[in-house]
Amino acid sequence: MAVTTQLTWMQEKSLQNCLGGKQFTLLYKASVHGFSSENLLEKCSNQGPTVTVIYGEDYVIGAYMQGSYYRDNKASVTFFAFQRTEISEFEIRIFNTRTDNNKIKERRFGSGEIYYGYHDLQINLNDRNVTMDRTTSKKFALHKSHISFQECEVFRCEDSLDKRRIEDVTLLRKSLFSDMRTYNPCGGLVHQTRILLLGPSGAGKSSFINSVKSVFRGHVTNQAVVDFGTKQFRTYSIKDGETGNSLQFVLCDSMGLGEKKEGLCTDDIFYILKGHVPDRYQFNSIKPITSSHLNYIDSPWLKDRIHCVVFVLDVNSVENLSHEMVAKIKRAQRDVIKCGVVHMALLTHVDDLHLIMKADLINPYGCMPVKLKLEEVHRKLGFPLSNILVVSNYTSEWELNLIKDVLILSTLRQILWAADDFLEDVPAEETFGGSEA
Amino acid sequence: MAVVTNLTWNQERSLQKLFGCVSFSLLYKASVHDSSIYTMLQRCTHQGSTITLIYTDENVFGAFILGHYPQMGEEFENPNSSFFFLLKSGNKERSEISTFVFNRAPEIIKKKLSFCFHNSEFFFLMPESKRVFIHPQLADKKFKCHGYSTYLDCEVFRVEGIKDDLSYIRRITGVTQRRQRLLAELSTYKPTTCLTPEIRILLLGPIGSGKSTFINSVKSVFQGRIIRQAIAGSDITSITEQYRIYSIKYGEDGISLPFMLCDSMGLDEREGEGLCMDDIFYILEGCIPDRYQFNPRKPITSSHSGFITSPSLKERIHCVAYVLDANSINNLSSQMVKKFKRVQEKVLQCGIGYVVLLTKVNNWDEILQDDFLNMNRSTAYQSQIICVSKKLTIPIPNILMVDNYASEREMKPLKDVVILSVLRQMLRITDDFLEDLPLQ
Repeated sequence: MAVTTQLTWMQEKSLQNCLGGKQFTLLYKASVHGFSSENLLEKCSNQGPTVTVIYGEDYVIGAYMQGSYYRDNKASVTFFAFQRTEISEFEIRIFNTRTDNNKIKERRFGSGEIYYGYHDLQINLNDRNVTMDRTTSKKFALHKSHISFQECEVFRCEDSLDKRRIEDVTLLRKSLFSDMRTYNPCGGLVHQTRILLLGPSGAGKSSFINSVKSVFRGHVTNQAVVDFGTKQFRTYSIKDGETGNSLQFVLCDSMGLGEKKEGLCTDDIFYILKGHVPDRYQFNSIKPITSSHLNYIDSPWLKDRIHCVVFVLDVNSVENLSHEMVAKIKRAQRDVIKCGVVHMALLTHVDDLHLIMKADLINPYGCMPVKLKLEEVHRKLGFPLSNILVVSNYTSEWELNLIKDVLILSTLRQILWAADDFLEDVPAEETFGGSEA
Repeated sequence: MAVVTNLTWNQERSLQKLFGCVSFSLLYKASVHDSSIYTMLQRCTHQGSTITLIYTDENVFGAFILGHYPQMGEEFENPNSSFFFLLKSGNKERSEISTFVFNRAPEIIKKKLSFCFHNSEFFFLMPESKRVFIHPQLADKKFKCHGYSTYLDCEVFRVEGIKDDLSYIRRITGVTQRRQRLLAELSTYKPTTCLTPEIRILLLGPIGSGKSTFINSVKSVFQGRIIRQAIAGSDITSITEQYRIYSIKYGEDGISLPFMLCDSMGLDEREGEGLCMDDIFYILEGCIPDRYQFNPRKPITSSHSGFITSPSLKERIHCVAYVLDANSINNLSSQMVKKFKRVQEKVLQCGIGYVVLLTKVNNWDEILQDDFLNMNRSTAYQSQIICVSKKLTIPIPNILMVDNYASEREMKPLKDVVILSVLRQMLRITDDFLEDLPLQ
């Protein structure tokens, strides 16, 4: 039998969150290692903080101990319980035992019970039952003080963002930084790669630009106006705070797509892609730019064109996109495809997803809620799964943080790679006059 | 002291890459728990498959044990269930982990955890004295640390999410080598015939069957990162509306390999939708230029500005790959089959190569043989293969299976092997047909 937990992903995650961002390592599983307290202690003593989970018929209850099994006789214990239901929703009840006598004792005589607290709770593994005093059962919202169980598991608890993790992520950020600083558009055809952000208003296009700027500047900045909604076509060059040089890519902000007639005029998208629209062009929802416009770029070069398009969506809104919005996005996708440009999706606010912890942002693509969102976007809008990226923008913070930085930088790297794929494939006759160098 | 591993995140990730998507649970750490063999065994037995890692001053290496940890006085049963691996030697991290498979089960002899190859001990550790022995044959040029040495720490992890079966070891220890061999072979590939210096393979298939994604996958394998150049996606009408000829570039220098993959618009079962039948014939003959914009209602005419009136043999299609989603074979409509058959008639008439490429095949554990030499046709997808073979009257050896890079953000060695194997098979079939080409 395999040593794997019975907890569902949701249950495990909720518990980890309740205990303040922990990660679990399963050390002991009674049905595999034997229902005896000796066996439990063989595997679990001296492992640091642990969580013991008891699976009753209707309830899952457990105890979190800050000290090691066996060694620290006095350790603070936190009890928790959740109702076992088929669906993922359940209520976790959590409480501390009386602080004066938090003891874990193991009595090796007789059947070998393990005591938590004074007499708050005792587990008898041989008989597969738990006995607790009345206050405890009351707090657990159980009607009995004696319950039998089928399984018992013990996990070691570690901080999900421990020193080792932080050090490694710091290194990762360093290498991403140097990748971005030395980034050159593929083939030297253009001096700077141009990335266009499209998407519903309020999805986080300007916030993403601000976030990228912030990461390179070294502090949070809000240069791209977020609050009032973008009405201009703006191209933002990013300065490296350390060297003062401009990086070799430009992020282009556009007016948000609206449900009906408001928002970006979809005909403008083609002109932006082809490079006809100048910086600071004031959008008009009703009619697209014409060649008679004062700053209209008549014969744009490759450097004026868009090399990769990113559709920005709020991760929390993907289920609620209206038909009109879906149709608009699909139409825009078609325009982008016609121009031969790679299009990607960028889901923002990924940190707001239920059960996502800060540490999960190191590799968000492995998390269940993120996977579900990616599939939804894939189904609804047809983006290939590997073209859907996630990010968590700097929206309300004052200070930068390492993990957000890394996610922003690695997302940016994927986008620039996609742009390079486009640039590598540009037909020779269109590359003429593209280089400024 | 906390029970935390000494592995860096990068090292952990390279281990994860070697073992496939698995997770590791640290069970024992010599510097925290005591170093007696009893304590070690208490914690590590009955935990399933494990890796035992040894840290010395300069090196990190260890052994994987399939199934349960050996116990004292236990007789070994299964041969060949463990292997040695080297994760780090000297100051350099190893990009590819080298492995050595033992052919006898590990044993506990006299407080030693010992791994044997034939009858000699190749690798053993003595936890009580924190000493380790490495046979010179395990040490390669870069790894000089053989003989006895003292180690700093020893950790044992449970490995979760793997199949408890001996072929697993052969697979993960063989995949790197296999990948390199295929890559070396294909990057030096030249068509066997002197009739054409390069091979053009046309991908044909229903909308959303993964034609563009296959092209991206092949490109990705040769570039070492996910490539998104051929625009892919899913919609009710074809995403690809242009005829595209993609060259495949290899490595940093970007040398173009002598085979090209041609992407076409998806086929639709309705008339007047998707790729035109007449256009297909023009493509086969090499009349249609790169980036030609298809019109579902109207095929190309010789008056089109880019129309190639007298294409050379080099410009023609040398192999057609019918791309089909392996999971929707049963839903293949009769109209679609009819379209395929018309193309196939022409293909046979021209005497060019053809294969069926089934995409979106997932359980590779069952399909790819342990030695990667063949696909196991006896299992999971057998019914689909027979069905395709019957419906399209295509011989079974010409039906290939692949799993594209569709949802990944990182490269996977096993997937690379699958894609390269399929590509090699396509090229071999093409060569065979070219050799036999009727002279016109």
